[in-house]
Amino acid sequence: MKLYFLALGTVVVVCVGCAMDGHQGINQSSGLGGPNLAGLNHSGGNKGEYHAPPPAMMMRPGPMVDGPGPGVLAMMGPGGMGGGGMGPGGSRTFAPTSTQVRFVGPDGMNVGWQVPTGYAEHQLVTPGRYNFMQASTYRLKFSGIPGREGLVLYPTLQVYPTHPNTDAYLSHNSVPIQLTNEDLDQVESNNFVTKVIYLPDARFQELAIANVETLVSTRLDPGVDPIQEADKRGTIMAVIRIGNMDLEMQGQAGCPPLASGDGSDVEQVTYRIDGDRGEMVPPMPIGPAGNVGTGTGIPNAMMVAGSGYPGAPISGANMPPWGQPITGTPIGLAGPPHLPLGGPASLKSHTVRNRTRMDLPKPVDHMLVDVRHEPGLSLPEPVRYVEYTEKHPVYRPGELSNPAWNVPGNGQGYGPGPGYGPGPGYGPPGQ
Amino acid sequence: MKRISLILWLSLITTLTLPCGKVAAQQFPSVNGRQFPVNQMSPPGTAAQWAANSGRGNLEYFQPVRVTLPTRGLVTYYEGSPHRSYDVKAPAQASLVVGQMYRMRISAMPEFPGVEFYPSIELIDRLHPPTCQVEDFPIEFELTEEEFEWAANGRLVTKVIYLEQPERVPVTLLDEKQRITTIEPSQNAIAEADMLGRPVAIIRLGGRTPDPNQPDPRFFGPGGPIKVNQQQIQQEMQSASNSPLKNLENQTSTVKAQAGVVSLRKGTARRVAQR
Repeated sequence: MKLYFLALGTVVVVCVGCAMDGHQGINQSSGLGGPNLAGLNHSGGNKGEYHAPPPAMMMRPGPMVDGPGPGVLAMMGPGGMGGGGMGPGGSRTFAPTSTQVRFVGPDGMNVGWQVPTGYAEHQLVTPGRYNFMQASTYRLKFSGIPGREGLVLYPTLQVYPTHPNTDAYLSHNSVPIQLTNEDLDQVESNNFVTKVIYLPDARFQELAIANVETLVSTRLDPGVDPIQEADKRGTIMAVIRIGNMDLEMQGQAGCPPLASGDGSDVEQVTYRIDGDRGEMVPPMPIGPAGNVGTGTGIPNAMMVAGSGYPGAPISGANMPPWGQPITGTPIGLAGPPHLPLGGPASLKSHTVRNRTRMDLPKPVDHMLVDVRHEPGLSLPEPVRYVEYTEKHPVYRPGELSNPAWNVPGNGQGYGPGPGYGPGPGYGPPGQ
Repeated sequence: MKRISLILWLSLITTLTLPCGKVAAQQFPSVNGRQFPVNQMSPPGTAAQWAANSGRGNLEYFQPVRVTLPTRGLVTYYEGSPHRSYDVKAPAQASLVVGQMYRMRISAMPEFPGVEFYPSIELIDRLHPPTCQVEDFPIEFELTEEEFEWAANGRLVTKVIYLEQPERVPVTLLDEKQRITTIEPSQNAIAEADMLGRPVAIIRLGGRTPDPNQPDPRFFGPGGPIKVNQQQIQQEMQSASNSPLKNLENQTSTVKAQAGVVSLRKGTARRVAQR
């Protein structure tokens, strides 16, 4: 009897445990309620239902099929299945390559950025917006902050590449960045502030209308990485890191040099780009941002060969540096480094096992489609037999009239004359 | 004892065969057992591409659409380039091709002076009106003032327009107004529209604007052919030649015609002043 209850309890626990998959907190009803539409409500928590992969997976064919690589075509464009050069029509998507960043506040703050010759000052006045190319990191310069005279900040702005989840948002909206008084207080207190702007996943969105959310490092518990936390909740679009480091100190490399090194206040003549004079220069990327494929140093699916020019092999110059794997794994991850660094490579093999639970059916060999019309088609039987009878009357001599012109021996044809009109015309035979 | 062992075996089999599905963060559950691979989070253009691939796109048929604003304004339809556009006063009607994406500009609205919006239209299906009355039955896009406010505040408004299935619409709800249903973010808007009828279009409205100096051609989308009633537009423009709307539009185009960085500064200053 004990075993009976034990088995029954096991069944109950398993059933209840599998039914709670974390989605019960979300109201899955269609929201189209009302007494008149109550029948249309449905529940999305049914067991055995099918779930399509997320958009990012739908756009890519998968490992060992996606490219580029030996014998593999180049990867599809940003539109994936929705575009990217599929078909003669080309891309049908907007395929944003830039992210419009909107500097919301504080009002009246000057925004500049690093350019090849230094810093371009006063390129924007908040609130303002600018289209930054994606997958790049930029060095900004905030100055003229209202209420904080003399404070100049040099934050970095990482603009992440577009993702299928953020494609719709980035092609229609700007990414807001706002510095609050709390952020500025933290920076002035020698704290490092990281703000992550991300688009939350649908299950984490609080409002029906899609909007971005911002994670600030100073508001998280110690030790919590805001980027990892934002990555769990949604898709990152931009990251701004702010400190109080001064990057334009006199005499520093990259700054306007002094005429002499003995403390003279005479500066060498240089040209500074100033937006107040109408001079606008686009920002210079100082590095990559986000997962940009080969730009991050992770080898792609292709076999990486050395440059091969003559000369002695130099680690990091004409050959991969020590510890840097040169072969990518089939799933796109870099192979393990040769540890310890600096020693001879001893690794003979490495194995990556895909532990993903998959329930993928086999491809279809033969397809059968049953089509049925209701009501069915109904037509009369086609004609398969025709009986045709032609009757020819037979007249004896004298039963038929004969035209006058046809009377033997008359010899007249058409036209006025004896054939028509008064005169010899139609008449009974013999007249 | 045999009975107990049978129960144990049954419980073990039940344990091993029960489905323990886990839905990924960005996945949408199936609706009534049907899986919809396209949803409102899919990249713009995916639904149109699939519609075109399934044969619904016909370059010889132009589906009329009409954009209605809260009061009045100007709607500009782009043919895939900032240099090929058609200005139509609201309610603005034009004919587009199914299976294509179009970018629009909405401007000169008295509720949002000087503010421009650039929504997009994705046509995924067509209507089937009588042959001689195609222009009389356009797909209606009604944009409310509240939706424009959301877009101006940085939110993305996605609306799926569907043709109602007659037997699914209660008679008590039949009036002239468009019924707008707001659903939960975790629900698939296209699937919900499919439950109630036939989805025909998707419109997305946000607050992003193109670079006034060097507009990116990609921002204006792939576009497609557009057919507008030029005679009607000319008549409207002539009748409105002295109206404040026309003057405002002239000012806007004047600012845009200025080249160089000065216009960007002016544009930025104008936006700052308007806030």
